[in-house]
Amino acid sequence: MPDLIFDHVSKRYRIRHEVEHGATRHPLIRKWMNLWTRPEDFWAVKDVSFAVERGEAVGIIGHNGAGKSTILKLLSNITTPTSGEITINGRLAALIEVGSGFHPELSGRENIYLNGSILGMSRSEITRKLDSIIDFADLRQFIDTPVKRYSSGMYVRLGFSIAAHLQPDILLLDEVLAVGDAAFQAKCLNRITELKEAGTTIVFISHDLRAVERLCQRVLLLKRGQVVMSGSAKEVVAAYQSDATLSSESVEVHKKGETKEVEIRALSFCDEAGQVKPSFQTGEPLVARIDYEVHSPVKDAVFGLLFFTADGEQHCELTTDLSDDRISLAPGKASLEFRTPELGLLPGIYFTSVHVQERNARDVIHYQYKSTILRVDSDRVIRGNFFLPHEWNIKQVRNGRGSEEHS
Amino acid sequence: MDVQTISVASTEKPAGRGRIPLRSRVIRPPSVSVASILFGLHELWRYRDLLYTLSAHRIKVRYKQSVLGIAWAVLQPVSLMLIYTLVFAVVARIPTGTTPYPVIAFTGLLVWSLFSTALTTSTSGLVSHAHLVTKVYFPREILPLTYVVAAVFDFIIATFVLAGLMIYYQVAPTINLLLAVPIVMILVCFVTSMSLVFSAIQVRFRDVGVAMPLLLQLWMFASPVVYPLGAVPERFRGLYSLNPMVGIVDGFRTVVIGGTLADPYTLGFSALISVLLLPIAYVYFKRIEATIADVI
Repeated sequence: MPDLIFDHVSKRYRIRHEVEHGATRHPLIRKWMNLWTRPEDFWAVKDVSFAVERGEAVGIIGHNGAGKSTILKLLSNITTPTSGEITINGRLAALIEVGSGFHPELSGRENIYLNGSILGMSRSEITRKLDSIIDFADLRQFIDTPVKRYSSGMYVRLGFSIAAHLQPDILLLDEVLAVGDAAFQAKCLNRITELKEAGTTIVFISHDLRAVERLCQRVLLLKRGQVVMSGSAKEVVAAYQSDATLSSESVEVHKKGETKEVEIRALSFCDEAGQVKPSFQTGEPLVARIDYEVHSPVKDAVFGLLFFTADGEQHCELTTDLSDDRISLAPGKASLEFRTPELGLLPGIYFTSVHVQERNARDVIHYQYKSTILRVDSDRVIRGNFFLPHEWNIKQVRNGRGSEEHS
Repeated sequence: MDVQTISVASTEKPAGRGRIPLRSRVIRPPSVSVASILFGLHELWRYRDLLYTLSAHRIKVRYKQSVLGIAWAVLQPVSLMLIYTLVFAVVARIPTGTTPYPVIAFTGLLVWSLFSTALTTSTSGLVSHAHLVTKVYFPREILPLTYVVAAVFDFIIATFVLAGLMIYYQVAPTINLLLAVPIVMILVCFVTSMSLVFSAIQVRFRDVGVAMPLLLQLWMFASPVVYPLGAVPERFRGLYSLNPMVGIVDGFRTVVIGGTLADPYTLGFSALISVLLLPIAYVYFKRIEATIADVI
């Protein structure tokens, strides 16, 4: 019998829109009117069916709003389905945002009991595992200190350590791996691998495609609340990346005010030799090529390429606005290449938008939103928000004389 | 949760996977049925350790960073008693028969504090734990219940003051004192139902929390807390006793300091209301619980 069965599960949220008309009316009356407006239905998950076998590790990927977190909430019983049936065979534990259940006034030890029992452990079970939890978190020295005095790293370590000792049959993983320092992350991954080898069924919901590939045999791809693809991790991740249409749904939204003298045809990412590559390493050279077609001449054009994080936040921009040199466009097809010698983006998935604009003009000539995805991997862990290209040298002071070594 | 979840299998799990017997559960759209209620109670029992830990934590945190610590449990009803003694015994001179007014007031305030503390704190209980409610599953009724437990703890501490007060005023208890235990149980049952209902409503309508102090103020004066039941004119008694707190407060006071049996009609009425209300409140709470994480 599979450990997890989703049988035609749907989840509907009702969204109430504020009544716009009659804005001058008294707020109380508006509130009252709002109670009677017809709520709009939004299907976060629609008719999803899948099963997870015992001991299997399954990844669930998809864009924001594709229904990933709703599935997580349904699985962990935080919310109930609108229709359909979910069968869970065994003890299920969700590695939630670590430390959500901590109370700052209580000591680390007291918080282990509190958090452990919130996660479903019995007191005797916690007492039995207490030493192991403290050692794993490496906090023996501070275990009787109130957690409000903990650093954020200590907080995270304690939280993960408690969750890692749950010994569930089925483990739900969210983006929890993205916390703590590199050493602790490695420890977490080891622990999860251990659990997996011990036969724990794992459901991993993440944006981190590399981690999904590493941990899961099978991956489900969600799109607008439905499973659109299911298969081996490599297959599905590759399809997710190459499928530009996944996100191009929103392209048409932003066309307002476009004058269309220039049309952007394509955006591709290549190496220095001009070969299109599916993914890049942090620190590698990157060439972004924009193919466009000019319909009528533009005197002073500015091209821009914006990178967005998976959460939709603007991350960085490549733009020709850096110099005051004019780019005048004559009718015909052409392409523009942005070159960066060392890619500063950290591993992850980035959405892009490309735009052409007349300098100092308010209207955009052409805007292509979230058309192409850039995937960045790295073999080494680099901490922080971005990679700063750097080199180093060691100067040894010996007998007052400096000798230099370059690396 | 308000899910029809039924245990269908309880077999020993295969080798390699834990020692806990394999549980199987089915999550379905919310529906209220006997099976779902029974399952809910089973889940509550399974999570009893959480109820214990959270309640203990509630009590610990309340007194941890205050200088007076546990003394606050005593200080509150005592200072209220002094204020009401000043108003009713010194200024207004309300007749209380042979029993000194401070004892009358304190017994009433003792019972009332349990009720009002539990109700005020538990009403905001779900909302103030939104970060937990949206992230982890556990039977949600545990949250309001922990506040009830904490209030009962304060009540027990404050009864020592009552004992001291009775010794000071030489009010001798009789064997009927033992009846205080079932009366407190009726009260806990009643306040639990109220807490379940109000905390669930609070999730959608925060107005409840705001209105609570006013409601409790009115309710207190509509109950024989700071005056004896005898002070209420006979012709209003019938209507007056429809308030379940009347039977409870008066019953407690009668068996503790009056030494006689409580009035079986008013107390019986309170008991009946409490016992009927609890399952209704529980079912209502479970019904709301299914969508709490979506609207909180």
